[in-house]
Amino acid sequence: MKKQINRKVFLQQMAVLTGGVGFGLGAVTGKAFGQIPAAHMANVEPGKILIIIQLAGGNDGLNTVIPAEDDLYFSARPGIAIKKEDALKLDQGMYLHPSAVGLKKLYDQGQMSIAQNIGYPNPNRSHFRATDIWNTGSDASTVLEEGWAGRFLKTRYPEFPISLAKHPMAVQLGSVESLLFQSEQGGFSTVFEDPNLFYQLVSGTPADTDIPPATLAGDELGFLKQIAAASVQYAGVIRDGATKGVNTLSYPTSNLGRQFGIVSKLISGGLETPVYLLNIGGFDTHANQLTQHANLWKTISEAVSTFQVDMMNQNLADRINIMTFSEFGRRVNQNGTAGTDHGTAAPMLFIGKTVRGGLIGANPNLKALDSNGDLKFNYDYRQVYSTVLRDHLGLDNVRSQQIFNSTFERLPIFKNSPDALPEAITMELIAPWPNPASGYTLLQYGIFEEATVSLALYDLQGRQLKLIDSGLRKVGSYSVNLDLQGYASGHYLVSLSTSRGGRMTRQLVIQ
Amino acid sequence: MPALTSPNAKHLLARTLFGFSKEQFQQAMGYGSLEDLVDRALLADAALPAPPNAWVNTVPAQSQQDSGDAGTWYRELTYWWYNRMFSEGLNFREKMVLFWHNHFSCERDKVNYPQYMYQQNQLFRKFAFGNFKQMVKEVSIDPTMLIYLDGNNSRGTGPNENYAREVMELFTLGIGNYTENDIKQAAKVLSGWQVKGLTSVFDSTRWYKETTLTIFGKTAAFKVDTLIDLIFEQKACAEFICRKLYKAFIYYKPDEAFVAQMATVLRTNNYEMKPLLRFMFLSDHFYQTTFRASHIKDPQELMVGSLKALQVKLPDLVNLYDMAKILQMQLFQPPNVAGWPGQRDWISSTTYSYRGGFTDSLLTGKRFNGTAVAGKLDAVAYARTFSNSEKAALFVDDVIDSLILFPLTAAKRQFLLDTLLDGTLAANWSTYTPQADARIVRLLKAIMRLPEYQLN
Repeated sequence: MKKQINRKVFLQQMAVLTGGVGFGLGAVTGKAFGQIPAAHMANVEPGKILIIIQLAGGNDGLNTVIPAEDDLYFSARPGIAIKKEDALKLDQGMYLHPSAVGLKKLYDQGQMSIAQNIGYPNPNRSHFRATDIWNTGSDASTVLEEGWAGRFLKTRYPEFPISLAKHPMAVQLGSVESLLFQSEQGGFSTVFEDPNLFYQLVSGTPADTDIPPATLAGDELGFLKQIAAASVQYAGVIRDGATKGVNTLSYPTSNLGRQFGIVSKLISGGLETPVYLLNIGGFDTHANQLTQHANLWKTISEAVSTFQVDMMNQNLADRINIMTFSEFGRRVNQNGTAGTDHGTAAPMLFIGKTVRGGLIGANPNLKALDSNGDLKFNYDYRQVYSTVLRDHLGLDNVRSQQIFNSTFERLPIFKNSPDALPEAITMELIAPWPNPASGYTLLQYGIFEEATVSLALYDLQGRQLKLIDSGLRKVGSYSVNLDLQGYASGHYLVSLSTSRGGRMTRQLVIQ
Repeated sequence: MPALTSPNAKHLLARTLFGFSKEQFQQAMGYGSLEDLVDRALLADAALPAPPNAWVNTVPAQSQQDSGDAGTWYRELTYWWYNRMFSEGLNFREKMVLFWHNHFSCERDKVNYPQYMYQQNQLFRKFAFGNFKQMVKEVSIDPTMLIYLDGNNSRGTGPNENYAREVMELFTLGIGNYTENDIKQAAKVLSGWQVKGLTSVFDSTRWYKETTLTIFGKTAAFKVDTLIDLIFEQKACAEFICRKLYKAFIYYKPDEAFVAQMATVLRTNNYEMKPLLRFMFLSDHFYQTTFRASHIKDPQELMVGSLKALQVKLPDLVNLYDMAKILQMQLFQPPNVAGWPGQRDWISSTTYSYRGGFTDSLLTGKRFNGTAVAGKLDAVAYARTFSNSEKAALFVDDVIDSLILFPLTAAKRQFLLDTLLDGTLAANWSTYTPQADARIVRLLKAIMRLPEYQLN
């Protein structure tokens, strides 16, 4: 499912990417890639970090956050229901899985929010399609080839892949790159299992400036070369971060515990990576699920609570939020093999110092099920993602809307929901359309406080090529047609600056 | 009909075998025509291989897990399969066994007795070029599948839907070609089975009680066989498996027009695979130059293929076993029921780097972590298997052509020649010079570290 990059884009990026990497077999020296002038970077709130845990296989939500005072729950699941005496009491008649002791403690400390009954209309019950939906942020009937995090990272790193950021733009612990980080410009994530080993293995990777031929095989070669170039760029940064960083306590030996231990070191070591993806599998509990499900939640609970204490010890916890997701919940009724089949809505967990804590939304309604015997959702999962993007990662409303192609009302997950952006900023430059463009493109901008503005076209070296629009602008929206005749095809930047000191930059590709 | 030219033969062998040596390539050219090569070698039938050991007939028991025997036997089973791949010669069967293993994906983590997995693996071998419909019928009640997708102990009164969903979604029709109700009804038909000892048994008292069921709009008293027959009557069925074959053996983005042609062949032959495979490998479409070297090697193709190309006589199977895990393709342990997605999903920053680590290990005799690798290449002896071994430029070209299908630029060939010569004059090159061994190793490392080497 990896996105094919456009050949023209590719040629341009490869020319830049591999420009300074020696073609050789010894240790490959890193290179300072051409940086775009700082003033042209998009407006971002630095420092916040999102850690996503994917619960692969479809977590049984009803046995995770348990309606243990609801008789219907017990009649639907005579063999696998968890009694309230055994479970950990939350609020409003809901209970946490008995093995999630560490998470219960975080909940009591106000460091865990649980959003209940998250799903989307016409839910898909295939593992693979449903996982793609959750990774791309699409509705049930739309197939997207970009991950929602990939689209977010495009706003944060508009110059990728023409220039690579100093630190990895996203980190995935594991081996197979997730669709979550894919974009039409290529994958944003650096994927590895162990920082030192990764560095050691990358040494010896040659990179070269040859442009692959315009063949099917050439396209695949280009893909391989892009991976090689990014590995060469980031292996050293990651190793240095891990060497510098510390764990203040020892992590559980589970795979997830090990992953959290590495993330802790990287954050502690100063990596500015905004998004991490961790993974735990085994949730497809069709048969004899009790023991397995208990072990999974014990693992998660231990790893997450260790990490949270570690980050508090290091005064890093204010910057970090952990979010869980799974492709679907499971059927309300147990099946004949003491397990549960594929279902729909389920809870999502948010752990961090900045969450409000507590349950969000009504308890699962076991009476009003859909025609398939599955839970109806209360909140769309994209409401959750939008909330995280805006209230945690500081993305403005307009961009968040663009990412999901729709407006989603925020959920009260975080304490300091800055109802700020874009209200607090003074202007907004919308991405050019069409883009990539030929002939012309339409530029639109909004002014929220009267100011003198300047809208200009730049090349990637930061040279102003054309002043498109300027003058005193009252509050309102404006649009300008930009004639593209006479510009060579390639990547450009359009930038809006105002007398109030704001600047926003968008990438424009001329075909 | 396409001709048996050297590029056509290389393309065909690269896609249908786990690599090949120079000698095997010459042997293939000796068949004189593609038709003969396909009919007499690639698609030739052969008897089933003897089992890895007597444990295949040992009734599963918990004690085998507790003692660690089951784990040891899984390792033996894996080595056994690797030996099948190394000794496949010019026959396509083992590649198809892997195709079916990936198609009817089952994980050893859940099917933790290798006795079952061995049976399923032989079933795939038996049906490698056989009847797809009959294979689905047998797979549906095969112990491995019953365990993996929870048909085991599923009762008609509260059936487990796992297999019913996946047999339609992943094995025969594809998503969107059935309803949730079709799944629920089919789950009843597929109930009643249990794994006992080494086999599966049916118990009608555990089956569904309704007189008839309605599936795909048809009402009948379905049994497993008639259910599968009905599934195979759906239009999507032939296209679905042909699309998957296309992606595995031609190009990962299917050409729907050709897939439709393949599906017609398959339907016309009542789901017999051999006529379809023959059609595919003798078609002009397959040999279009644009498809050459457009396939990213899977880890087995990379590992077994590298060892065959280097003519390593006794490959270190422990190295293969361990590295397959790291490269994300442990045999008998696909990532989930959809199997390995393949192509670009093989490659991430980490697996790409490990691939380089693997090919290095064949040349240095050491893994990335220092573990010794048996069967380290005798570089000088290998070089001398090339008739041009003493003529530097021709030698480098010959080695490149035997290892890489992707057309390398003149600049890259020159770079590789420079790597071999390491500052000395081409005229002075000889495999008899003192440093020859190190230089050949450096050349081979460089070739196998090229991104082009990952393409077949």
